Amino acid sequence: MVLQDLGRRINAAVSDLTRSQNLDEKAFDGMVKEICNALLEADVNVKLVSTLRKSIKATVNFKDLPPAVNKKRLIQKAVFDELVKLVDPHAEPFKPKKGKPNVIMFVGLQGSGKTTTCTKLARHYQTRGFKSCLVCADTFRAGAFDQLKQNATKAKIPYFGSLTSTDPALVAAEGVAKFKKEHFEIIVVDTSGRHRQEKDLFDEMTQIQRAIAPDQTIMVLDATIGQQAEAQSKAFKETADFGSIIITKTDGHASGGGAISAVAATHTPIVFVGTGEHMLDLERFQPQPFVSKMLGMGDMQGAR
Amino acid sequence: ISGLFRNVIGGKVLTKEDLAKPMRGMEEHLLNKNVAREAAVRLCEGVERELIGIKTGTFESIETTIRTAMESSLRKILTPTTSLDILRSITSVTSPSQLNPLPPKPRPYVISIVGVNGVGKSTNLSKLAFFLLQNNFNLLIAACDTFRSGAVEQLRVHTRNLKELSEREGLGKVELYEKGYGKDAANIAKDAVTYATQGKFDVVLIDTAGRRHNDTRLMSNLEKFGNFAQPDKILMVGEALVGSDSVAQARSFNASFGPKRGLDGFIISKCDTVGDMVGSLVSMVHATGIPVVFLGVGQHYGDLRTLNVG
Ligand SMILES: Nc1nc2c(ncn2[C@@H]2O[C@H](COP(=O)(O)OP(=O)(O)OP(=O)(O)O)[C@@H](O)[C@H]2O)c(=O)[nH]1
Ligand SMILES: Nc1nc2c(ncn2[C@@H]2O[C@H](COP(=O)(O)OP(=O)(O)OP(=O)(O)O)[C@@H](O)[C@H]2O)c(=O)[nH]1
Ligand SMILES: [Mg+2]
Ligand SMILES: [Mg+2]
Repeated sequence: MVLQDLGRRINAAVSDLTRSQNLDEKAFDGMVKEICNALLEADVNVKLVSTLRKSIKATVNFKDLPPAVNKKRLIQKAVFDELVKLVDPHAEPFKPKKGKPNVIMFVGLQGSGKTTTCTKLARHYQTRGFKSCLVCADTFRAGAFDQLKQNATKAKIPYFGSLTSTDPALVAAEGVAKFKKEHFEIIVVDTSGRHRQEKDLFDEMTQIQRAIAPDQTIMVLDATIGQQAEAQSKAFKETADFGSIIITKTDGHASGGGAISAVAATHTPIVFVGTGEHMLDLERFQPQPFVSKMLGMGDMQGAR
Repeated sequence: ISGLFRNVIGGKVLTKEDLAKPMRGMEEHLLNKNVAREAAVRLCEGVERELIGIKTGTFESIETTIRTAMESSLRKILTPTTSLDILRSITSVTSPSQLNPLPPKPRPYVISIVGVNGVGKSTNLSKLAFFLLQNNFNLLIAACDTFRSGAVEQLRVHTRNLKELSEREGLGKVELYEKGYGKDAANIAKDAVTYATQGKFDVVLIDTAGRRHNDTRLMSNLEKFGNFAQPDKILMVGEALVGSDSVAQARSFNASFGPKRGLDGFIISKCDTVGDMVGSLVSMVHATGIPVVFLGVGQHYGDLRTLNVG
């Protein structure tokens, strides 16, 4: 699971230090270094790690600590706060409202898991009493509409799409208009994968967005992504101004540090994580409990 | 890279201490380019070993020494150890006559594509198909992803497009072999190869479902798949976007086909999405010693390249 190994290593580094006999500056530096290596191995953005290193050192300021102070507590808290900062942008995630249409548009890199997650999310809201549906605005990828159709059928969710159209903005607008008229409450719009290096693809995203005026845009990020996460998510943020992130494939072995760096880069909250290929494999995400659990520090949240 | 080494002074024998700082810089540079930490650390250790004890000349020559050392180190791991000429090996199987006094029964050359979810297996299989059609081979595409929604239709669309293209330009012929969803992939693969042998196809391209390398159940299916399909080449698609997980992905897939069989090559996809951060390629090759056969550089049929190490 995402960041589990990282949590274990960071924990070990902190408790090694706090347990050691002579808690001196050299040992402290060693701990900070070990934490940074663990973060780098988890694909956390290189620049972010170096900021975090400075930040922990500055907060703890080991040299000037009076001998009496509880160093263990202080160090633990500094590390915890920095990690929370990584995953918690202090922004309220979107909450759909009953009785009105909530249009949710998915964006993201190729193969990140958008289409799969679209159905998961529509189904999630459906079981919570929202009248939900799906629109396929991916007119590019071979078999994209069939994929969405088969998933939607399995989940018993109404869907809309076109096998022949080549204009995703048009299909999206048509689908959204149709479902609005039918008083659907959650309208999830799937789009093609794209990347920042190709301007036409980003323009297309803007066109779709303009055509359907979504209440919420969600960026889907693969937990295995490496150092490109920051640049790509920043570019998506600038162009599509997404309001939430969903991290997929957290059932894999990857640490997810790349995807999590995207949170820090875009100040956008993670709302859900995908935990498998099946329809029910979707979990809510909350930053603080997540970090507490990851570091095995159940009590830290109260201490803030 | 060279900027990092400015503070090494010329005209002395290099020691570990002299190199410590610039080497850290080099490591960070590699990490920045998305090389997994494990690979970056080992690469730097190699270069450091090479440089310790070397007497530096003028300022220029230090820079050159260091750059050359890293370059040769990278080149060493990236340069393929087996023949990559896929076309030649296909021909040696499909028309073995000239070389072999006792030609074996003609059979199709079998290539299967494996990898984790969403990396670009089906798309790059289609690009490879296009490349082979251009070389006038007759292809059978086998839809052995019987799990993911739309996987069969995806290949049906690609086959239809490729067929149109090759008919228009008088290239090879291409057909899809599919048995829908839910069935055992290894059996379909085996049947596809039999079908291709009877139908005198030159090459069978087998698509497989994406699987997490830490999913032991799905990974263990690969051994049976390998035994049933008997592929001449097993290519793994890894994406340029992936971070440190690349190392474990490559190792697990390489080990999944049983003790006698490993991967034959990588296709590194989505290179167009990472700019110059092509580190995952270095990490995967470093982890396994298996060569990169192709690079995927886009979403269209022509977007397949061979790796130019230079
Ligand atoms: N293990 C695992 N696989 C997932 C998860 N989410 C999606 N996948 C798989 O990832 C692959 C790609 O998913 P898609 O939903 O097709 O991705 P996409 O972003 O729509 O792809 P494009 O439309 O081509 O850009 C599929 O094989 C999915 O089954 C997850 O949470 N865990
Ligand atoms: N930019 C870019 N996109 C690519 C490349 N190769 C594949 N893709 C895209 O990546 C997405 C996923 O590709 P697929 O071929 O469906 O991936 P897959 O590995 O077969 O996926 P699953 O079967 O679901 O595991 C699609 O949107 C492709 O267009 C590439 O080289 N560059
Ligand atoms: Mg999709
Ligand atoms: Mg596929």
